[in-house]
Amino acid sequence: MTAILTRAERPYDPADISSSEFWASSARDREKVFAELRAHRPISWHRPVKNGMFEDPNDQGFWAVVRHADLVEVTRRPQDFLSGKGITFESLPPEALDAAQGFIAMDPPRHTKIRRLMAAAFTPKQLARIDDHIVANARRIVDDIADKGEVDFVTEVAALVPMHNICDMVGIPEEHRRTIAYESQFADGWRDPRLLQGADPLARVFQTIATVHGVAHELIEARRRKPENDLMTAMVQAEVDGERLTDDDIASIFALLIIAGNDTTRQSTSHGMKALTDFPDQRAWLMEDIDARMPVAIEEIVRWATPIMTFRRTAAHDTELGGHQITEGDKVIMFYSSANMDTEVFDHPERLDLSRSPNKHVAFGGGGIHHCLGAQLARRQLSATFRELLTRLPDIRVVGEPELGNGNFFHTVMSMKVEFTPEKSGPRR
Amino acid sequence: MRIVVDRSRCSSIGLCEATAPDIFEIGPDGALHILVEDVSADRRTDLEQACENCPTQALSIED
Repeated sequence: MTAILTRAERPYDPADISSSEFWASSARDREKVFAELRAHRPISWHRPVKNGMFEDPNDQGFWAVVRHADLVEVTRRPQDFLSGKGITFESLPPEALDAAQGFIAMDPPRHTKIRRLMAAAFTPKQLARIDDHIVANARRIVDDIADKGEVDFVTEVAALVPMHNICDMVGIPEEHRRTIAYESQFADGWRDPRLLQGADPLARVFQTIATVHGVAHELIEARRRKPENDLMTAMVQAEVDGERLTDDDIASIFALLIIAGNDTTRQSTSHGMKALTDFPDQRAWLMEDIDARMPVAIEEIVRWATPIMTFRRTAAHDTELGGHQITEGDKVIMFYSSANMDTEVFDHPERLDLSRSPNKHVAFGGGGIHHCLGAQLARRQLSATFRELLTRLPDIRVVGEPELGNGNFFHTVMSMKVEFTPEKSGPRR
Repeated sequence: MRIVVDRSRCSSIGLCEATAPDIFEIGPDGALHILVEDVSADRRTDLEQACENCPTQALSIED
């Protein structure tokens, strides 16, 4: 039997998936490295990421889980692989974790109880009830660009669709929406000098938390005075184990909802638009019967986009994974962008195939207790947005290359120019 | 066939409702409701899928 190496003794894998250069490269370049790992070293130990925000002297590295099957297994072993120690690569200051990650960074039993409070608002049937509203939001966004002929797709379409829908559900009034959507970018964008504009990353993250919590506390007060039919009201009225949630609990869940609600669908919409530009035959196939084909196409767009590239777990105790001995406290990172390119599951994953079925992508998670709460919301938003765009602006296309983010969490498109023939009759009302 | 729900495990993630919305429903109270008492045998595949998809292994089939 081989000796079990301590964290400090384990040799690092030669492949570099830790450096900021790796994450600043393109998804295609990163995939070459992941393909090699999937084929030869599916569970591998890597040097820690350096981020310059918060140095954790105990951070000695992480396990990389890159195959689809292994990712699903980690997802489904929440008793062995915890979320409560953090969900990102980097160690974060505990106060930032508590303030901004809500129930995504919780473990059972508390996770179960808090998540149950949210569940009813996001079920397929509830989303079907508010679908008219989602469609109306998409229509309004396309109305506003229809006569322009050329726009930055990210700021004028992709960022606005989820912003309006999640704000409607949570109950965030119009005057706070743009602030909230802008601030949510710093959840991952704190490492990007283009967003930071000279600010210190840690200070900027705390500024975001302060802004978001300021809005949350204002809304908590407002809903206590006058309940509405929204998630904010549900949270102020909720009891868990006979106790009301504290204002800080609510503000943390609020932060999670707006970050998860804004920054995910924004990326999927942008990557989807780029894919529909790059694969005209696939777009033509979709347009032949858009109503019938949209649901299956959306699954492929979400696989293609994989808006969240990584999630971390932390080993609860010494355990085994894929023949490797994992030590209590080890970071285990799941690479969704790699699992969604796994040839064991997907035939020619490098091709956009809008008719792909079954499509067992893990873009919403591997089917564990943290499975994306907003999956049905995302599907309906993407469907409404692309139907509106592709039918009203049939020649809309990306021109030039998108400007991409450099983070390791969200698969960010920062800006992306689109051109189209302006709608002749002017905006429909 | 009957669906048995282990209430101590169910976390209302709702993947069962996504699989078979006419049989499973997460109610306004956030709890899972089984809408069909006695499920006909031709729905076995759907039910097996729902059981398999359940993140907390809270569902089982009773013949």
